[in-house]
Amino acid sequence: MSNFERTGDLFSLDLTIDEAHILINLVEQLLELLGEGDFFHHYDADDPFAALMSMQQEVVTPEDPVLMRLLPNAYADPDAASDFRRFTESSIRSTKQRILREVRAHLAILVDDEKSGTVPDLDADTWLVALNDLRLALSVRLEINEDSFELFESLPDEDPQKSIYAVYYWLGWLQENLLNLL
Amino acid sequence: MSEEKSDSGFGGVDTLTDIDAALHELLDRPWTCIVWDDPVNLMSYVVFVFKKIFGFSQERAHELMLLVHNEGRAVVASGSREEMERYVQTLHEHGLWATLQRDDKI
Repeated sequence: MSNFERTGDLFSLDLTIDEAHILINLVEQLLELLGEGDFFHHYDADDPFAALMSMQQEVVTPEDPVLMRLLPNAYADPDAASDFRRFTESSIRSTKQRILREVRAHLAILVDDEKSGTVPDLDADTWLVALNDLRLALSVRLEINEDSFELFESLPDEDPQKSIYAVYYWLGWLQENLLNLL
Repeated sequence: MSEEKSDSGFGGVDTLTDIDAALHELLDRPWTCIVWDDPVNLMSYVVFVFKKIFGFSQERAHELMLLVHNEGRAVVASGSREEMERYVQTLHEHGLWATLQRDDKI
């Protein structure tokens, strides 16, 4: 069973290779949804020119409900919300992408070797935020609400949704596990 | 007396100084940062984020988290618009659902 461990100020995570695969796939899918399809850039996301270019584009309210949850409106007023989005959204996206890329690099150590093992020296804050964004993304697709856990338990094992729910609740368990070590 | 008060538009205001103070308060009314409840963020994670971003004690962070959970929303900070926008941005970076608005108390 996967779990985080703490030694002094250092955190690590034990994962089976199957768990590492599940996590890296989710991380890569979320990176793509956040607009980062190619993981080998010719420029950094914080490149000042790229930031300038992104300011030229019209930043509109995202249509994908997952993006809308990850990048919500800051104001009830649509004009104020749109202004806020124009000046902050690319920065919030970059922060989320940086965090996911860091987690992806950790997971790649296991996945590239195709073996279970320990992710060493991980930053707890980075992992907490990444796990939370993955849970938020899945929660929108699964339409999670207060009754979802009961629904999950009542689903027959052969239901394809069951394994997605299982991953969602496993991510919550992992996040709680790390929070308990702080 | 009572007629003059209602005409002023600031109920309970008697003097020019009071009107001045009331106007001042209206114009300087602070902005507030509000966090909304959602069924996904773990309670312990919300406490962690409040402590990290606002520097709250464990007790204060826990109290505010419960307020969000039980009331559906809670004001977690107030101040200048710029300051509240920075908080909202940081809260969004951490996956919390936050908005800002003018304080509706006058």
